[in-house]
Amino acid sequence: MLRQLEQLELLARRHSRSGGRGGRRSKARGQSVEFADYRNYVAGDDLRHVDWNLFGRLDRFFVKLHEEDRELPVDVFLDASESMVFGAPAKFDLAVRLAAAMGYIALCGFDRVSVRVFPEGLGDVAEAGVRSALVGVRGRKSALDFLGNLARVRVGGGADFNESLRRVALRVKRAGSAVVLSDMLDPRGYEAGLEALVARGFQTHVVQILAPEELEPATFGDLRLMDSETGAEQEVTFGRYRLRAYRQVVEDYTQKLREFCRARGIRFFRTTSDTPPETLLLRELRRGGVLG
Amino acid sequence: MRFLAPAAVWFAATIPVIVVFYLLKRRRVVLRVPSTVLWQRYLAETQASAPFQKLRRNALLLLQILLLLFAVFALVRPYVEGQQVPSSLRIMILDVSASMQSTDVVPSRFEAARGEVLRWVDGLKPGQRMVVLQSGSRTETRQSATSDKLALRRAIESCAVTDGPSRMGDALKMAESLVRDVPDAEIHLFSDGSVGGLDEFENRNLPLVYHRFGERANNVAITSLEVRANPENPLQRAVFASIANLSASPVSTLVELSFEGEPLDARPVQLPAHESGSVVFVVSQSRDGVFTLRHDAPDDLAVDNRASVFSELPAPVKVLLVTRGNRFLEKAIRAAGEVRLTVVPAVPEGSATWDFVVLDDVMPARWPEGNVLAIRSAATNWFQSTTVLRSPPIVDWKGTHPLLRFVNLDNVVVSEAIGVKAPAWGTVIADSPQGPLIIAGENGRQRVVWIGFDVLSSTWPLRVSFPMFIANAVSWLNPATVRAAQLNIRAGDPFRLELPQDAGAVAVRPPGSGWQSVTVGSSAREAVFGATDRQGVYGLKWRTNETAFVVRALDPIESDTAPRAEIKVGRYGAAAATTLRRGNLGLWRWGAAVALGLLMLEGWVYHRRTA
Repeated sequence: MLRQLEQLELLARRHSRSGGRGGRRSKARGQSVEFADYRNYVAGDDLRHVDWNLFGRLDRFFVKLHEEDRELPVDVFLDASESMVFGAPAKFDLAVRLAAAMGYIALCGFDRVSVRVFPEGLGDVAEAGVRSALVGVRGRKSALDFLGNLARVRVGGGADFNESLRRVALRVKRAGSAVVLSDMLDPRGYEAGLEALVARGFQTHVVQILAPEELEPATFGDLRLMDSETGAEQEVTFGRYRLRAYRQVVEDYTQKLREFCRARGIRFFRTTSDTPPETLLLRELRRGGVLG
Repeated sequence: MRFLAPAAVWFAATIPVIVVFYLLKRRRVVLRVPSTVLWQRYLAETQASAPFQKLRRNALLLLQILLLLFAVFALVRPYVEGQQVPSSLRIMILDVSASMQSTDVVPSRFEAARGEVLRWVDGLKPGQRMVVLQSGSRTETRQSATSDKLALRRAIESCAVTDGPSRMGDALKMAESLVRDVPDAEIHLFSDGSVGGLDEFENRNLPLVYHRFGERANNVAITSLEVRANPENPLQRAVFASIANLSASPVSTLVELSFEGEPLDARPVQLPAHESGSVVFVVSQSRDGVFTLRHDAPDDLAVDNRASVFSELPAPVKVLLVTRGNRFLEKAIRAAGEVRLTVVPAVPEGSATWDFVVLDDVMPARWPEGNVLAIRSAATNWFQSTTVLRSPPIVDWKGTHPLLRFVNLDNVVVSEAIGVKAPAWGTVIADSPQGPLIIAGENGRQRVVWIGFDVLSSTWPLRVSFPMFIANAVSWLNPATVRAAQLNIRAGDPFRLELPQDAGAVAVRPPGSGWQSVTVGSSAREAVFGATDRQGVYGLKWRTNETAFVVRALDPIESDTAPRAEIKVGRYGAAAATTLRRGNLGLWRWGAAVALGLLMLEGWVYHRRTA
C-alpha cells in the first residue's frame, strides 16, 4: 500500500507560492536546471549567471534566469466532531485513513503537510500536543511520527465547520492544496468556510463521507431524534413509505453541495464510510484529478 | 328520526378523552443521529410546540372522532318512523310454496319476502309482539308470540321455500285463532297470491294485510304427468302430459321424456299465450322405473320445468267373484281390462292371493282382508242398523269421484235397497232421499265399495253406465293403483309405506342428499316419511329391497305465477295488496357499518404512517 502511495503525488493546478524549497515548479526564479528567462546585467549580479555565448554574439551582458522548485503546502481539514463516529465502520475511521494516505503522499513529494483537526480546543493538553504536531510536517523521515500522531487524534465535541475553516484560512502564510474530510452535515452550513478557503487561494478538495445508515435509515416509527453534537431532541414520525422521500432529501442536499463546489472550482467527492480507502485513493481521487 | 336509546349519547363524552390522549406525548423510540440536518423536512411536520397545534391536520384523530360519532349514532338506535298503525301483535305469514321460487324478483320472491319480514322485525317497538308462521303444504309455527328480535330473526332465517303447494287456509285459521282476543292485532301475509284452500274460509273481519311479491308471470309448466296402459296395445305404456304456457307470449319448446335417465323421445311443442296443450308418448316399459319429462323453455320458475312419475310394470288384476250367479257382473268384470277372474259360490280360505274380492249378495263367514266390492253385503261392524228401502230413486251422485267417471245414473231404477247410515270412513257417491245407495271409502287399509242393492233387482246392468262403473271399480280397487298413488305423492304430503311385519330398518334418500333412516315402531306396519318438501326421485330401502318413490310439484295454482292483486278469502272477502310501509326503519346498522369502515381506514392510515 505504502509503495503504491509513494508513486502518487498531489496534483497542483497552479504554481506553488510557497516560500520553502521543494519539488514543485513555482514562478520564483532560483536554482533549478530549468531555464526561465534572460534579463539585463546590473552591477552586483553573480558573474556565474552571465550568458557568455550571448555576450560573444551581441557584445552585451545578459543574466540567465532559472525557475526555482518550491514545496506545496498541503492542508488536510479533518472533521473530528461527534457526528463522525457514526456508521459501521465509523466515518472518522475512513477520514483518518484518507488524511494519513494524503499526508504520506505529500511527504513523499517533499511537500509540507498540515492536518487541521477541528473542532479545536478540547481542553486536553496531550490532545493539543498531538494536534499541533500534525501541523507543518515536512520530509519523508517525519512520516512515521506523522502517522502515529494521526492515529492518536480523538473525536468529540460539536464542530463549527465554517469558523474552523475560516480561522485556518486566515492563519496560514501561504495557501496551497486543501483537502476537507467531513460529513458536511453542520446545521450552520458549510458555505462560509469553503468560500474562505477559496478566497484565500487554496486549491480545495472536498470529500464528503456519509455512513450507509444515513443514506438508508433502518429505524422506523415514532422516533425521538437526538442530535449527537448539540444534544437537541426532536420528534419525528418516520414510516417505511417515506424512505424514498428521505433518499431524495439526501440526494438534494448532496446535489446542492456539489453545485456549490463546482461554482467555486472546488473538487467534490461523496463516499460512504464502508468504501475501502484504496478504492477511493487509487481509483476515485485519481480519476477526479486530485492524485496523479 | 327518533331514537330508541337516547341515553347512549353519553358515550360521546369519550371524545374529549381521545383528544387528551392525543395531547399526551406518544412513546417514541430514542434515536441518536449524527445530525438532524437531513431530517429537517420531517421535523417541520411535528415540530409545533404549542399543544393544540399538534391536533391540526391530524388525520388519525379526525378519523377516530368520526368513528366514535358513528358508533354513538348506532348506540342511540335511531329509526325513521313508519306510517302503520301501532299493533301489539302481528302474525307474519310467510308463503313458502313453490311459486315463491320465481326469479322475476331478484334473487327470488321468497328471499324478497323474507327480507321484508326481517325489516318488519327491525321496526318492532318495545312491547309489540310478533308470531312467525310458515305456510306451505303444512303450516308451521316458526316462532310463537315474542318481542325478542333475535329469536324472530332466527326463526325467519330458518324458513325455507318448498316445492309444495300452498294451503293458506290452514295458516289463516291458525292466525285467526291467535288474534281472536287481541283487538289491535294484525295478520301480515307475505305472498305472491298463488294460494289455494281459501274457498272454505269464512271470516270477513280478518285483519289481513297482504304484501304482494312478484312482478310478472313468465312460466311454462308441466301441470300433469300420468302413465297408463295404452288402450290400443296393452304391451305398451302411454305417458300423458299437460303443458301450460302461463306467460303472456307464445312459447315453443322441446319436451323430452326419459326413463331412468335414458332419453326416450322428444317433441317440439308450440303454445300460444295462456294456453295449455297435451303430449302423449307411447313407449314400451321393461321394468319398474321412473319416467321423467322436462322442457327447455326459459322461464322464471324452474321447479315445474320437470316432472317425474314412478311406473310399475302392468300386471293382470286377480279378482275373486263370490256369487250365486251373476252373468252381467261377470261379463262387466272380464271386460274391464286385463283381469284374471275366479268365480266361486263361497269365500275360500286364504283370500289374500287375490287383488280384490267381489261379494255379490253373499255374506262370507270370514270377511276378506283385501279390497272389497260388496254388493248388498256388509261386514257386521260397518253399519249401526239396517232398514229396507222400497224403490229408492237415485237423486244425486258424485261425478267427480273416480268411481263415477263417465257414469250417468239418470235412468237406473232400483226396486229395493238396504237402508243404512253412512259410516265415518265412507263417502256417499250415490244417494237417494231415504239413504245412501253407493258408499266408497277406505276402512283402515282396506278400500271398500259398497252397493246397497242387488244389481239384478235393478235396471242398472242393462245400462251402459254399469260396465263403466265396474271398470272404474276394478281400477280403483286394484292395489297397484293404490300403490301407484302411494309412490307418486305431492310435494309436502307425507310418504306412507305399508310394510311386512319383519321389514326391519327403512331408509329414504331425498334427491341430492344421503340416506336417512326412518324410524318404524315395532308394532307399526307403516313407515311414514314427512320431509318431502323437495320434488324429485327419492330412494327407498328396506331389508334387501331398494326402490324409489316420486315427489311431484305438479300444481296448476302454483304454476300460475301471475302475482295477484288481491286474495279472495272465502266467498265474499278479499284482501288487496297493500302499499303500507313497514314501521320504524332501524338505522343503527348503517351507523355501525360506517364506523367499521372508518376503523379499517384508521388502521390503514396508522400503518402507513408508522410502517
